[in-house]
Amino acid sequence: MIASLSSEWLKIRSVRSTYVVLAVVALAVVIGALFVWQGMAAFDGLPLDRREKFRVIPMEEYMLPMVQLALGVLGVLTITSEYAHGTIRSSLVAVPARGTLLAAKAAAVAAVALAAGQAAVFATFLVTRALVGDRPIPDHGASVAQQAPQLLLLGLSVAVCAMVGLAFGVATRSTAGAIVSVVALLFVIPAGITYLPAPWGTRLSAVMLPNLPDQIAGSLGWRSEEVVVGPWARIPVLPPAWAAVALAAYVVAPLAVAAVLFRRRDA
Amino acid sequence: MIEVRDLVKRYGSTVAVDGLSFQVRPGQVTGFLGPNGAGKSTTMRIVLGLDAPTSGEGLIGGRRYAAMRRPLQQVGALLDASAVHPGRSAYDHLLTLARTNGIGPRRVAALLESVGLAGVARKRAGTFSLGMKQRLGIAAALLGDPAVLMLDEPVNGLDPEGVRWIRELMRSLAAEGRTVLLSSHLMSEMALTADHLVIIGRGRLIADCHMRDLVPDGESLEDAYLRLTAGSVEHGAAR
Repeated sequence: MIASLSSEWLKIRSVRSTYVVLAVVALAVVIGALFVWQGMAAFDGLPLDRREKFRVIPMEEYMLPMVQLALGVLGVLTITSEYAHGTIRSSLVAVPARGTLLAAKAAAVAAVALAAGQAAVFATFLVTRALVGDRPIPDHGASVAQQAPQLLLLGLSVAVCAMVGLAFGVATRSTAGAIVSVVALLFVIPAGITYLPAPWGTRLSAVMLPNLPDQIAGSLGWRSEEVVVGPWARIPVLPPAWAAVALAAYVVAPLAVAAVLFRRRDA
Repeated sequence: MIEVRDLVKRYGSTVAVDGLSFQVRPGQVTGFLGPNGAGKSTTMRIVLGLDAPTSGEGLIGGRRYAAMRRPLQQVGALLDASAVHPGRSAYDHLLTLARTNGIGPRRVAALLESVGLAGVARKRAGTFSLGMKQRLGIAAALLGDPAVLMLDEPVNGLDPEGVRWIRELMRSLAAEGRTVLLSSHLMSEMALTADHLVIIGRGRLIADCHMRDLVPDGESLEDAYLRLTAGSVEHGAAR
């Protein structure tokens, strides 16, 4: 397993697509900072009575989908590039234990995605809070230490997206098919489902991946009375423990199905 | 020693391999011949544990490939030389394979030297010609210094110097007592390289004999092959 892991690590490090993905993550941090910088300029230009109503979605929430998608794509490419170029056969000739090969891929991608996710979330938090300074903007008053549990969960969700991407890549063996599936499951369905009639919009939305970190974070999780539909609707429904179970299911269920398919099918 | 026993592989209603049995012995180069779609590649994939047989089995040294630990140190295979990530360097390509079987970077560098790719080891494999990819594929097959080699069409795309290099390499590996199974459609080349022949058509065994016994005096291997496989040519077969 260690030998396979070091091989998979080298596979990730030795292709340019990995660095493109990491550049997109860095770009997300920069864009988040620019939004807040522009927002603070607008805030400073407002008369005092209108400053009270000024709201900004925390950028570690707003820019997170871009980071999740980037690492979801990395998860997809880890396996679909092997099918596209035919290297899956030499990989399986070198490591005929298919469960071991898939586990090594999952571990290597998860490590990269977790590191990238945490780095992006914490960098965005620190940079944007520095830009906000001591302005009285709601949801922007907590210190990094106070907010750390929620931030760690947001970063963790990036690794979950990478695992979903890997599993969809194994199942479809097609880069395009897997990326479309990831986008649908992680972004399109969660955003659309909030428009369903009550109470179903809220109930189903509670188990969508984008909502789980903030529900697990409980009182530290971000929510907004104003935003009740769309991709940034965050209405806590599940208790933290059940939200944690749901988040784990997003890793376990797709990977379990992928493992069964990967073992059973001809390469 | 490679052993194929009563092997059957069906893809839906297509029968790719149909009750095939033969053995490949050490110490000689065995040519694996047959028309397109005869089942050569399918047979190799099954022996290497990539495809599951419908029935029967393929064994190497009496064991199933999938049950081997560090299989590259026992078996070397070249299935498709173009199967490289175009963005990965030749060195990294080999090292990803080597690491899985506990083979070090020194062996990788030495092999790149011996197949003549040392000068382009850090170049992306996507820039390689087919001949260079064949050399890279040969290097991958030799990584673990295996006693058994299975090579599917290794001379495609090689220049005359490369063709001779492969021929002499195969013959010297067999002379060292290794088992060498070599598939090719180039009859003149096979006549120079192989000692023994296994010929299949439509998934069935047509001939399994020594080169001398197959090709009568005054006839070429090409003549003998075309005569034997005349009834087995199947155009448009699935795999």
